[in-house]
Amino acid sequence: MELAIFYISAIVAAGGALMMILQRNPVASVLYLILSLVALAVLFVQLSALFVGSLLIIVYAGAILVLFLFVIMLLNLRGEKFTSEKPILDKGTKITLVVLFFMELVILIKQMAFPQRMDSLMTQASPDFGGVEPVATLLYTKYLYPFELTSILLLVAIVGAVIMAKRDKNEEEGER
Amino acid sequence: MTDQNWSILIPEIFLFIWALFIFGLDLGIKRKNPKILGYSAMAGLTITGILLAIFNGGILFKGMFQSDQLAIFFKVIFIGSAFMAVGSSFDIASEKIRHHRGEYYGLILFSTVGMMFLSSASELITLYIGMELTTIPLYVLAAFYKDDKLSVEAGLKYLIVGAFSSAILLYGLSLLYGLTGTTDIVTMKINLSLVFLSYGKIGPGLILAMIMVIAGIGFKLALVPFHMWAPDVYQGAPTPITAFLSVGSKAAGVVAFARIFVNGLIAFASDVMKPLDWGIIVAILAAAAMILGNITALRQRNIKRMLAYSSIAQIGYVMVGMVAASELGIASVGYYMFIYLFANMGAFTIATIFNDKTGSDGIISYSGLSKTSPIFAAYMSIFLLSLAGIPPLGGFAAKYLVFAAGIQAGYTWLVIVALLTSVVSLYYYANIIKTMYFSAEEPTIKIHPSFPANLVLLISVIGIILFGIFPGPILDWALESAKIFAF
Amino acid sequence: MNEYAAVLIFLFVGIGVVLFTFFLARLVRPSNPYKAKNQNYECAEPPIGSGWIQFNNRFYIFALIFVVFDVEAIFLFPWAVAFGQLGLYALIEMIIFIVILLFGLFYAWKKGVLKWV
Repeated sequence: MELAIFYISAIVAAGGALMMILQRNPVASVLYLILSLVALAVLFVQLSALFVGSLLIIVYAGAILVLFLFVIMLLNLRGEKFTSEKPILDKGTKITLVVLFFMELVILIKQMAFPQRMDSLMTQASPDFGGVEPVATLLYTKYLYPFELTSILLLVAIVGAVIMAKRDKNEEEGER
Repeated sequence: MTDQNWSILIPEIFLFIWALFIFGLDLGIKRKNPKILGYSAMAGLTITGILLAIFNGGILFKGMFQSDQLAIFFKVIFIGSAFMAVGSSFDIASEKIRHHRGEYYGLILFSTVGMMFLSSASELITLYIGMELTTIPLYVLAAFYKDDKLSVEAGLKYLIVGAFSSAILLYGLSLLYGLTGTTDIVTMKINLSLVFLSYGKIGPGLILAMIMVIAGIGFKLALVPFHMWAPDVYQGAPTPITAFLSVGSKAAGVVAFARIFVNGLIAFASDVMKPLDWGIIVAILAAAAMILGNITALRQRNIKRMLAYSSIAQIGYVMVGMVAASELGIASVGYYMFIYLFANMGAFTIATIFNDKTGSDGIISYSGLSKTSPIFAAYMSIFLLSLAGIPPLGGFAAKYLVFAAGIQAGYTWLVIVALLTSVVSLYYYANIIKTMYFSAEEPTIKIHPSFPANLVLLISVIGIILFGIFPGPILDWALESAKIFAF
Repeated sequence: MNEYAAVLIFLFVGIGVVLFTFFLARLVRPSNPYKAKNQNYECAEPPIGSGWIQFNNRFYIFALIFVVFDVEAIFLFPWAVAFGQLGLYALIEMIIFIVILLFGLFYAWKKGVLKWV
């Protein structure tokens, strides 16, 4: 059962990512990306990283991809605009490159796959390591300082977004 | 949590609140006096510097925040560069950015706060957040001329490259965490050596992690081959921001690099550790930076692009001290950045003033400056000669120290490359001086900097000459700050 | 198997209900498609132009600010779960966190981006 869920969500995640880049229509791409992210969230939950899984759904699928949709609608992108450009590489080269990269990845992961012997040094993670409560106790005690720094970071993000996205017209009127 | 000395956080907290105060001031007042925001930003930075002198030394949050000598040394550089960037911004503040003055100064202060947190970070998560806090305001600042296509392009390029490099850096940091099971840099060092001593080798995961961290920080430092963004961004961004980018954010990257590599991965900086030796990778990158930066700078006609390539080359010199990974190496890096602060900020300040007056960044338009504004031509010559490393200016002592550290650590070939390229660099620096002094064209332009810009120029010139002739105090301090790494 | 089985069951039941409704509708409805009936519906008029329009860029600012506060909410979630163990100290931490972010909201408000003119 566990294995079945893993394979199904892994295939959905990889397939969704693939479909995302194959789509000409940007809105369809975003929807496939959401599909891929939800499947990824399932994988995280299977690794008992519940918090990361829920974060993926709430922040990515919930907020960031909505933002993507807004940007696509704002720029009024249509799929057909991308078709006319001449590709830099021909198909054969592309496929060869993809296969080579894939092989490289497989070899790398096979090679390194964090050596078993290092486990002895690390403190073994408790079974509920990725759950919400353990994350919370770490975040609000040991990692309190980076947590508070994050709030400054988010504040800067709001300010930056407002400055960049706001039109200046109103201000000019206000100054007169 | 009771036995901690919270007071060492005061400078950072003060500067953060001061930045909020400037935002509030901008929202509150009806823009009666355009200069008040700039002066209050400068005042805030000065007070932060004083607070830093009072409240320092100690650790907080179980060592996540370290107010050690290295952090303080670099914090002075950050505050100095922010101070000078603000000081040289008064002219553009009254014209080009008059709708967003408060945000402009506030974001500079936010970025400075980020750098300060970054330089105190002894732990990977904090280091990463500090780095983001440094760069996110800079993305916005680079695109601050919203009507100027070049500036918006600069902001966008910087944002995309910056986000990409942050992702790579984060990947590298998470690999380091995965390999060692800790985010604390000192514990990381211990765990890595334990594994190494017990088993004699570490998997290729560490190489991958090191390459990713080098690439991630390399992007921030504009180290070759991660420098492609720098000339366009430097050219398009408002000039004071370019100066701040090239000094402040580079110094921040240097601190991050020193903390991770020279402290955490110090065991892997020697030939014995092949292929895990990061020293050789960084040495090759530094050589490439010096060669490519200096040679490309020769062909530039725009002063901001020329200074961009020159700063790509300069970071190569800094990295010579870094790969030495010794006490002298870190001290020379600190000293180099300190002098670089004065020389580069000064040169960019002149470029800012000149651009305000003429709207031009072309080197050719500087011709005859020596006749109309002899003082500023002399200032500019001092800055450029210091960047080239001519005695008795500060740049000479800085380069000398860096090279000494490099030779001491056995990187003789790298020092030879550095020497040859600095001869090349003299050509394009001298070319500007030649244009200013010996051009046949009739001079027309006279520049009048505002009072704060004058102040910045004066501080820079005095700093370069004073610390060039008497490098002692700063060098002693830099050596003191390098001691924290326990080589 | 574990507590997440419930999530999975919910997922399948959800998909099942939708499929079942479609199936039921197919059983009872008559089927005679013709051209006018297959047209897109727009207030009983033939549609003019594409359904794609350019959004106002205010949506974009709202979405950006929403993302930031969504990230804040993600921090609130584990805090709320573990509040029982963490106690007063955590309350102060979270108040500092939120006050800093509230300044951002205040700034956006003052700048008038929250107004829909």
